[in-house]
Amino acid sequence: MNAAAGLELAGLDLADIPGRIQSEVERAIQRSIKGVEYFSASGPSLGSTPKDILHARGTLNLYHYRPVEDEIYRVPILIVMATTNRGYILDMVPGQSFIEFLLKRGYDVYMLDWSAPKPEEKSLRMEDYVLDFIPDCVRRVQQDSGETDITVIGYCFGGVLSLLYGSIFADGPMKNLICFTTPVDFREMKLFQNFADRRYFDVDRLIESVGNVPPEMILSSFEMLRPASRAAGQVQLWENIWNDEFVKSYRMFDRWATDTLPLAGEYFRDITKDLMWDNKLYNGTMSVGGRPADIANIKVPILHAVAEHDHIVPYDAARHLIAKVGSQDKEEVMLKGGHVSLVAGANAIRRLWPKLDSWLGGRSI
Amino acid sequence: MADKSNDPVAIWQTMVGEMEKGFNSFANQAMASPEFSKVVNQVGSASAGAQKQLGELMEKYLVSMNLPSRAQMIGMAERLQSIEGQLNEIKVLLRQMNAVSGMTQDSVATAPKPPRTKRPTTPPPSGEPK
Repeated sequence: MNAAAGLELAGLDLADIPGRIQSEVERAIQRSIKGVEYFSASGPSLGSTPKDILHARGTLNLYHYRPVEDEIYRVPILIVMATTNRGYILDMVPGQSFIEFLLKRGYDVYMLDWSAPKPEEKSLRMEDYVLDFIPDCVRRVQQDSGETDITVIGYCFGGVLSLLYGSIFADGPMKNLICFTTPVDFREMKLFQNFADRRYFDVDRLIESVGNVPPEMILSSFEMLRPASRAAGQVQLWENIWNDEFVKSYRMFDRWATDTLPLAGEYFRDITKDLMWDNKLYNGTMSVGGRPADIANIKVPILHAVAEHDHIVPYDAARHLIAKVGSQDKEEVMLKGGHVSLVAGANAIRRLWPKLDSWLGGRSI
Repeated sequence: MADKSNDPVAIWQTMVGEMEKGFNSFANQAMASPEFSKVVNQVGSASAGAQKQLGELMEKYLVSMNLPSRAQMIGMAERLQSIEGQLNEIKVLLRQMNAVSGMTQDSVATAPKPPRTKRPTTPPPSGEPK
């Protein structure tokens, strides 16, 4: 058998080889050109949907996004962002922005986003977030919108804060609650549990040493869940650096993922002891500032969106939410994707956003 | 047409993907052990302590060099942030006053709010008021 016949047998069409070589050479050239561009140019501008700052106080920022439709739903939305990350994951670039999607579907959107807590804010506790920051923002949204009812959307730990808020302020004004990938059973966050093993993890000493938990530590703990993924992502970037769309998307998500926020020391201590160690949210024994916060008190319509391949909040940690809330009108929807791709990117545009709109529209009138 | 299973680029990409999965899985198993937690927390604790001492030393050094310390810079940033916050409050108040008085200096800010009368195109869910 000659070499040509061998190649044909191996599934390679000889007629394709020159074209294939040419294509690979072109890509190699493009990689060199685009590689230089990559390091010399900044990434796309993120979080650019027009908005006004309604209120800013320390770590708290309350934004109001300018409505774009002539007619909007009666009930405004307050998005509560996770305290570890920036809110622009929900407002990447036009066409890939959850906020823009909501505005175009006629919702009035507010966001409670976080800045890095300052060293003097290390004494912020869970009660500051749940009994002060969220109620304060809710009041301001009511005042600005002129409406009493509010839909709250919480992403990841923003979902936990929203659950705690909803369970304490069960008589209103929250009308609907939507949680994205929100953990309830913290025993099931296996690796985080191991990192925070109470036999070896001295949270008191850590907080005493560092004040606020540095963002590098938060980022490392996230990256340790998939230690090879950063390196593999860079290999993928190099392979696809000729592809502008790929590079744009990579830069957006990479920038967001590494733009981690520090956590206020006392707040981190509360999370570690009450949630990671004592699993109080799951056990129904959680209290915030001395007020019982049992999620069974929540009676409003609730939608919980979880991701099939979420490595940060595994399904086993999130699945009890719907069973434990006291609502009659409740739904869990599991969608393909991971912790981030559930809410942003092509996957979210196709799956989560339309689902959310069809669920929320009728409940926003 | 070349078979994708024999395409060297596709093979390479699959291999990278599989290696990533394999390494992540192996590392996750290793990280789930109590020994790992013990070592990581010992290292983390030592590093946090060292970081604190270094910070204190640096603070003293900056004072001796008559340079602003981190705490002073943070204080300045705090004051700027407080001023920024107050400006935002004033901006919101001005916008509200403009809206009430019907002034149209800033067409976006003073644009009348859209009516809250929108209805979904799909029927409301069962159990909700129609």
